[in-house]
Amino acid sequence: MPDNSHSVKQLSVQNLSVRFPTVRGTVCAVNGVSFELSQGASLGIVGESGSGKSVTARTLMNLLPRSAEVSGGVEFEGADVRRLARERVKHFWGVKMAMIFQDPMTSLNPVKKCGTQISETLRYHLKRDRKTARHEGIDLLNLVGIPEPKKRFDQYPHELSGGLRQRVVIAMALACDPSLLIADEPTTAVDVTVQKHLLDLLDRLRKERGMSLILITHDLGVARRRCDEIAVMYAGRIVERGKPEDLFEDPRHPYTDALLRSMPRLNTPIHSRLEAIGGPPPELINPTEQCSFAPRCTLAQADCLQSVPQLSGVIGMREIACFYPANTKRGRRALAKNRARGKTAAGLQMSARRHTSG
Amino acid sequence: MAQFALRRVLQLILVFFVVTFVAFASLKLVGDPLFNLVGVISGITEEQCEAVARGELEDTFTSGGNIGDCALIQRAKAENHLDKGVPQRYGIWVINMFRGDFGTSFVNGDEISDIIADRLPVSVRLIVLAQLIALGIAVPWGVAAAYRANRGFDKVSTVGSFALLSVPNFALGVILLYFFSLRWQIFPSRYENHGWWSEFKALILPAATLALGLAATYQRLLRTDLITTLQEDFVHMARAKGLSDRHIMYRHALRPSLFSVVTVFGVNTGALIGGALVVEQIYSIPGVGTELVEAVLRNDPPVVVALIAVVAVGFVLVNFLVDLVYAYLDPRVRSA
Repeated sequence: MPDNSHSVKQLSVQNLSVRFPTVRGTVCAVNGVSFELSQGASLGIVGESGSGKSVTARTLMNLLPRSAEVSGGVEFEGADVRRLARERVKHFWGVKMAMIFQDPMTSLNPVKKCGTQISETLRYHLKRDRKTARHEGIDLLNLVGIPEPKKRFDQYPHELSGGLRQRVVIAMALACDPSLLIADEPTTAVDVTVQKHLLDLLDRLRKERGMSLILITHDLGVARRRCDEIAVMYAGRIVERGKPEDLFEDPRHPYTDALLRSMPRLNTPIHSRLEAIGGPPPELINPTEQCSFAPRCTLAQADCLQSVPQLSGVIGMREIACFYPANTKRGRRALAKNRARGKTAAGLQMSARRHTSG
Repeated sequence: MAQFALRRVLQLILVFFVVTFVAFASLKLVGDPLFNLVGVISGITEEQCEAVARGELEDTFTSGGNIGDCALIQRAKAENHLDKGVPQRYGIWVINMFRGDFGTSFVNGDEISDIIADRLPVSVRLIVLAQLIALGIAVPWGVAAAYRANRGFDKVSTVGSFALLSVPNFALGVILLYFFSLRWQIFPSRYENHGWWSEFKALILPAATLALGLAATYQRLLRTDLITTLQEDFVHMARAKGLSDRHIMYRHALRPSLFSVVTVFGVNTGALIGGALVVEQIYSIPGVGTELVEAVLRNDPPVVVALIAVVAVGFVLVNFLVDLVYAYLDPRVRSA
């Protein structure tokens, strides 16, 4: 597909919220997430564990447990995805939209041959006969760069290495030529060299097939190099969104800023301590109406504890959800105020060593 | 795979010898086989015979009988190899068994091989039918229960399966017999064999009696294992591939969830070869279990030991097959 298709809107998520009732209270996993994705574009969703990135992906793929309470809208190529889910529409997931998972060691069925697991999708969705499905399956293995595809087709997952297995998983997801691929931490469980090969492969496939990609990762470095746009999630909300270079060079949300500071860099002196983000992790059960990062934020002021900042445009494609963005005049003033007080409005002690830029 | 099977066969042979030897040796514990052969005169010892022959003792023994019986005892001992030690006798017994000669009943002189040929096929047909019915019920039932775990159908079916588990065979057998045979006269009330169709009809009720309890066990096991399997990543992956729930349950989740069921299936099959006694009694089926009890009651050790050997071999054989089924179910077992 030609490159000019980038502007065609493919996926639109509007004010998506996902709640799970539990005995301890309602877990608000996703709180009003909105984003859009153009045909052929790639979006990185980064955030720590429990930030709601996987739940967002699973909502798109209709993989949530029955107990989940979902609100908001998901539109994909003009179709209301949540209505398709209610109507149990066949041949949509796995055909238009496909997903790959974190751990290639467990996402393949151990008792089925790799080839069968690829060809079954072709047979189920596209009604291929056994022979055609086999040929196409072998072609797919070839496409994802598996040597000796004919031999691998008849092997069981335990006979393959982790990297090869993840390639099989990718081949499985690509079988019906989806226009959107969601990759949930696709390289977290494999070692670094394999990681690079797999990401290169995803890049190549995306460009060759004009496929859109949502790459979910906690690895900022991965997201930076592979995505057209990055959304940073914290406690079920998108707190900052923008082009990778803007986000990395000029982070505005204090969480993004703190995340980047906590990354080890090649040019920091040896034996220097990594900067951790202080304070308790976010409360997802019955959260209060405040900025969820406020308890850990060095810039937090009184109004951060009274209402939730909404995601709003800053310059062009850049959006943040913060009252006192880092690296701005307001932010610098807020930091100076907290330094002078010795603690933030939420009561976080301002240690002398922490020097979050204002 | 071939190597796996070969290793299992070697194990099978070893287990066969151990089990049959123990069964054979235990014959000594249940009494003197000579007594069963010749009666009270078995108390006459060789020393006594020699003493009488030398004229040192009177020609009437305290245990009854006289010098004429000495020859009888000698012959009985020689014919049954009772003059040899247990290991030797075991060797002779095993070799004869491989030739198809299981010996004769001490009581009525019947060929034991004929008894087995009569009884075993009936038992096997009953067990096969019972297990087929049990699996036929348990697999869809377990899948349906696990698919909607802890919801309406599952809760009702849990109560149902525990009810079935807690009804003893003799009660269930009599209940089925009453309704399906006496009241509605669908199936015969006694075993009959005028061709395979009449035997099949006669075996349905007893097989169902055995099967209902088994089905409840299998359903419990399958349900639990399926619920665990459904948490696996590859099931999420299958869902993400957009496959139907039915396809996921039967083509992805079922096979890795069958291990407990297969294990218990094997144990049950072995146990039923001689253990379907109650049901055999209710429906007057001439099976191995009934014969085993009759042989014990009429004090017929060779028959008892031969039947124990048959049951043991059956047990070992079935569990060998179960191992092969494991390997079929999970490719990782084959290379282990």
